[in-house]
Amino acid sequence: MFLKLFWTYLKIGTFTIGGGYAMLPLIEKEVVDNHHWIDAKEFVNMIALAQAAPGLIAVNSAIFIGHKIYGWRGVVACILGAVLPSIIIILLIAMFFREIKDNPLVEAVFKGVRPAVVALIAATVIRLAKRI
Amino acid sequence: MIYLQLIFVFIKVGLLGFGGGMAIISLIQGEVLSRGWMTETEFVDIVGISQVTPGPIGINCATYVGYTVGGIWGSLLASMAIILPSLVIMLSVCYAYDKIKDKYQDNRVFQTCMRIIRILVVILVAHAAITLVTPTTFIDWKSWTIFGFVFVAMLLPEIPNLKSKIIHLLGNPILLILAAGVAGYLLYFF
Repeated sequence: MFLKLFWTYLKIGTFTIGGGYAMLPLIEKEVVDNHHWIDAKEFVNMIALAQAAPGLIAVNSAIFIGHKIYGWRGVVACILGAVLPSIIIILLIAMFFREIKDNPLVEAVFKGVRPAVVALIAATVIRLAKRI
Repeated sequence: MIYLQLIFVFIKVGLLGFGGGMAIISLIQGEVLSRGWMTETEFVDIVGISQVTPGPIGINCATYVGYTVGGIWGSLLASMAIILPSLVIMLSVCYAYDKIKDKYQDNRVFQTCMRIIRILVVILVAHAAITLVTPTTFIDWKSWTIFGFVFVAMLLPEIPNLKSKIIHLLGNPILLILAAGVAGYLLYFF
């Protein structure tokens, strides 16, 4: 279970660009639709609690799920999974940023990714509004 | 000592950071600029990178600032420090939630409170989405086309009679982001 939680949050941490709100659709897909760890209504409650508490929504939700599924070991697994990709990728970028900053290929890819991120967040609004 | 300063600053940010990523970034900005750790331009670059790289924006930003100020150890300490208050507070919230949920799940007041919070969440996420509609993200009709495609693909699985495997796959955020990256390469690189 430790590895399963770690792996799930590692996936979420690796493949979500745009921070907490952009992570919500993927977190929902994984913990509600794929693993059935919580149901859709409890997912909205979790977001509410994760937002009401200080700190990062993605990390707070990782703590909530980890604690619910596997106690303190789950918390460790989910947090590590959620933040390790960030730390590794940012460290690499921080070391090599000057070389890739003005690369037209990198810039072109991100020009495509940015509106898609906004669309993911906008779609989250509708999916959440359906469950009020 | 720079490491102690980093720990202190990021515990403070984690403790006071209500409202998620962007709220937290403005807190980090205040600390970083007032301490002269970097210039405005350097910080703006970091925020840009934090937004377009995977993971929580606050962690990305903390890691980057930590690295700039204190190298690899600085980056590790900063990202651990920003999580620490969350850990304490969120675990207390979890214990309280489990207790309250069993006792009051059918209680009207509790139901209404959770409902109001859910409505506020929708408004907050909507606000975050609207805030992100900026000229630097939506540069031309191609950006809006990508936006439209992804938006529709995300909502298709919500239509009850359309629950086929292909549509389920279409609504996968990871695939959509990767496809948008490829689209960006094809539309803007050539």
